[in-house]
Amino acid sequence: MSDILTKLQGLSMEVTQKNERLYKLMVDAHDIMSTLLKLLNEYDYITLDSINCRDDLEEGYFTITYCLLKKTRDHVLMVQTSINRENASLPTLHKIWPQAEILERELHEFFGIDFPGHPTLIDFALEGWNQLPPLRRDFDTLEFVNSLDPFRGQRDDNLDVKVEMKKRREEKKAQKLKEAQEAAKNEEVPSHES
Amino acid sequence: MEIGFHGHEFDKAERNTQTLIEKTINWFRSKSIFVVAYGTGCGAIEMPPTFTSRYDAERGGVVGVATPRQADVIIVSGYLAYKTLRRVIRTYEQMQSPKYVIGLGSCAINGGMYWDSYNTIKKLDDYIPVDMLVNGCMPRPEALLEGFAKLQERIRNGEQGGWEKYEKNLEFYKKNQKKVLGENIDPSYEADWYMLKQGATL
Repeated sequence: MSDILTKLQGLSMEVTQKNERLYKLMVDAHDIMSTLLKLLNEYDYITLDSINCRDDLEEGYFTITYCLLKKTRDHVLMVQTSINRENASLPTLHKIWPQAEILERELHEFFGIDFPGHPTLIDFALEGWNQLPPLRRDFDTLEFVNSLDPFRGQRDDNLDVKVEMKKRREEKKAQKLKEAQEAAKNEEVPSHES
Repeated sequence: MEIGFHGHEFDKAERNTQTLIEKTINWFRSKSIFVVAYGTGCGAIEMPPTFTSRYDAERGGVVGVATPRQADVIIVSGYLAYKTLRRVIRTYEQMQSPKYVIGLGSCAINGGMYWDSYNTIKKLDDYIPVDMLVNGCMPRPEALLEGFAKLQERIRNGEQGGWEKYEKNLEFYKKNQKKVLGENIDPSYEADWYMLKQGATL
């Protein structure tokens, strides 16, 4: 596995081994296209597995991770870059990897990242969404939910569980005591036949 | 006295207020309930065992059908996303009266564990009239059958169905639907038909 690391070191970029089968590569945002093309053409990373996004609200950027696989499928290379949260934009990869089209569409919908030249940046999982993208951390989900759909009130016969359970237990106890007393009484009375 | 699922006894006194024909029609109606095969959430997984040999809902007169036009009951099984709500409304409006809605699981009652999700509704009965809510997460098929038994009981007693409520309070339901789905709830022709019935002109 270490020869993977030495091979990747030829990229003259910061490569780290996260674990046995996971490698990480940090790239500047404007180098991302050239790096991915290089990895595809020269290093045989033929599969784009996923594009992930993390919202680093405090630092003010999105961390984007491209997961690449070789044909052998023996390790994953994460190509990581960070872009500004304001007017976030990335080059589209749909011409290189067709599956990137739908992955980028998802990022566009849930984080508001723009992909210039992307053919289908339309509704994906949501319909007619006109708020902040919902997975951004500055989107106040609770406020949005309560403004749209207030919480259902209590039931008409809303009962306190503790009180009710105590009442039931006491009822059961009383019932058992009564039965025991009756049984004892029946035993005391001698039957005429014996 | 009649015995349905689990041996429920039905109230005789209320039935006597119906005429003989009404009584007969309602009895037949309660014994042939067709459920549209549509699942919105995880609760849909409880429906196959309910309708197949394990619990066999057919012995109580409950059968699944493929299309909404043939159906009497739609089960909203589990959480309902806004996107799915649009489809459920369309399905519901395509169904022919008398029609009923069963909300299955706690998500249909108050949003359940998805109550603070950005795309899940919390109160189903704001958007479509719900006749029966079955609680639990998830409710077992027995609970669903219990719900059907109760629904049959209500049909037999000649109680008002949710579809009558929907026709009477259409403005209320449409207002709530438009609030979350936007102005364009297409297709609108089903709703137009209801409007016509209320005396409006196209």
